[in-house]
Amino acid sequence: MEMFNQFFASQVMQESLVPALLIAFVTASMSVMVLAHRLSFLTVGVSHASLAGLGLAVTLSLPLLPTATVFALLISLLLATMPKSQDITEDAGTGMLFAGSMALGVILISTASRYEVDLIGLLFGNILTISPTELQWLLILAAIIMASLLTLSRAWWSIAFDPITAAASGLPVSTMRLVLYGVTGLTVIMCVKLAGIVLTTGLLVLPAACAWFWGRSLAGLWLLSVCFSLTGTLTGLIISYHKDWPSGATIVMALCLMFILSWGGSWLNQRAKKYKSQVS
Amino acid sequence: MSTPNLNITDLSFGPAKTPVLEKINLSLESGHFMGIIGPNGAGKSTLLSIIAGLLQPSSGQIELFGKQLHPFNRHRLLKQVGFLNQLHDREPRLPLRVHDVVAMGTTDYAAPLWRQIGNRGDHQDAIMQALDQVEMAELAERDFRHLSGGQKQRVRLARALIRNPKLLLLDEPSAALDSKRQDQLYALLRKLSTEQKMTIIMVEHDIAAITAYVDSVACLNRRIHYHAMQGDQIPEDIWHAMYGDHIHIVAHDAGCIGCSHPDEQPNEQPDEHSDNKQ
Repeated sequence: MEMFNQFFASQVMQESLVPALLIAFVTASMSVMVLAHRLSFLTVGVSHASLAGLGLAVTLSLPLLPTATVFALLISLLLATMPKSQDITEDAGTGMLFAGSMALGVILISTASRYEVDLIGLLFGNILTISPTELQWLLILAAIIMASLLTLSRAWWSIAFDPITAAASGLPVSTMRLVLYGVTGLTVIMCVKLAGIVLTTGLLVLPAACAWFWGRSLAGLWLLSVCFSLTGTLTGLIISYHKDWPSGATIVMALCLMFILSWGGSWLNQRAKKYKSQVS
Repeated sequence: MSTPNLNITDLSFGPAKTPVLEKINLSLESGHFMGIIGPNGAGKSTLLSIIAGLLQPSSGQIELFGKQLHPFNRHRLLKQVGFLNQLHDREPRLPLRVHDVVAMGTTDYAAPLWRQIGNRGDHQDAIMQALDQVEMAELAERDFRHLSGGQKQRVRLARALIRNPKLLLLDEPSAALDSKRQDQLYALLRKLSTEQKMTIIMVEHDIAAITAYVDSVACLNRRIHYHAMQGDQIPEDIWHAMYGDHIHIVAHDAGCIGCSHPDEQPNEQPDEHSDNKQ
């Protein structure tokens, strides 16, 4: 109990709790689409590629998050259009772009002076050092992402289920996919503040993956995914404060544990059902 | 005379030298049930995809319900078209209940969420009705992923039917169905075209199975060979008594099945042409 009191009494935690939960909410909402469209490798690619964007921002002394946002958007749109035009499979394309822009990012950041950039913070996330301008930027991103989800989630969902039938019923499938990639890119940038470049994919895959065992519809999956994400983030933050562990890593660890529990729970549940049907 | 639901003029698809489809002309009134048969690679699925607006023809015109199909009115015209594409196993395993899958066929499914508040109830009835037609109503709450192949196919058909299409396109709808279910499916389609004046185009392999139900059979192998011959085994008046007066009894002579005449092999003809030129 004292652990909780200390946690909520700490000013740093008070300030970072709201943005952390905001990020958790938005990424969990998008993670359903990431899983449905199998975009987890795209999120790995875009998050790593954003290092080049951050490097560029540092070198040209541009604002960090906006530059990274534009860069991530460009990269995801490039990845959405490249495979079709060049006959390169999407995962190979993502792999190349990911390595290339990460390399560019490392070089750019290494030329900047060491004290300007919190490299560890970029790589592994640091929600505790969030500034008011960054918070503003996060709110703008969250508004865009949630608005797109409200408008397009059903279309994206039916495209994930059966793109051919979706196209035959008149949906502009390729345009919608392009928008999905773009919005996923924006979500990645939101995540980077909380979990860092390396751990972003965890936040964008794990919540929906936990929910996948239990959800039976789009709305159900979304609700469960948000619950898992908020619980995991809160638990992670409390433990990280108590144990003085890095926050991003602790949150992802908490989500991983929840995934294992969810998996085990659904396995047991199925066994119980089988047992019941055998008995009766 | 009413405008035909579907009118295709001089449609071609594919490279000029080796076209997949060539000079397709077709006009179907409402309530007409047509079967398309032909060998593998004859362009049957391609033709359906073009009518469904998935592919752009290389030349020629398609008119749906009296209006020419182009990218700008595509969305509006296709709302009146139901499409059941060929069964494939690439479907991602999304967690969905059966009635959610059927709901995806409603014309406003993909509309923004705030416009969907309130119209839930109407759809629920339509969904159950569509499921009833394919005898899947009692499995409405089941997980779609756990259904058998034949059950999935029936749910997919319900998804195509829920929007009450004026034109229904079916690509091998009987795949994964046993012969009893096949007959039930054809009988249902016959009923829909007779009672609801639905125009139906169905690609099938087994011509013997469908002749009893369809109004006409088009034999497709790059071009359409349209045959309308009287069945000699069953007297016509019996069929007229069963299905009404507008039915044509159609059967194929043995030489027609596959429609591959020696001078019309799609893969060989272009080579011969180029040889001649040299």
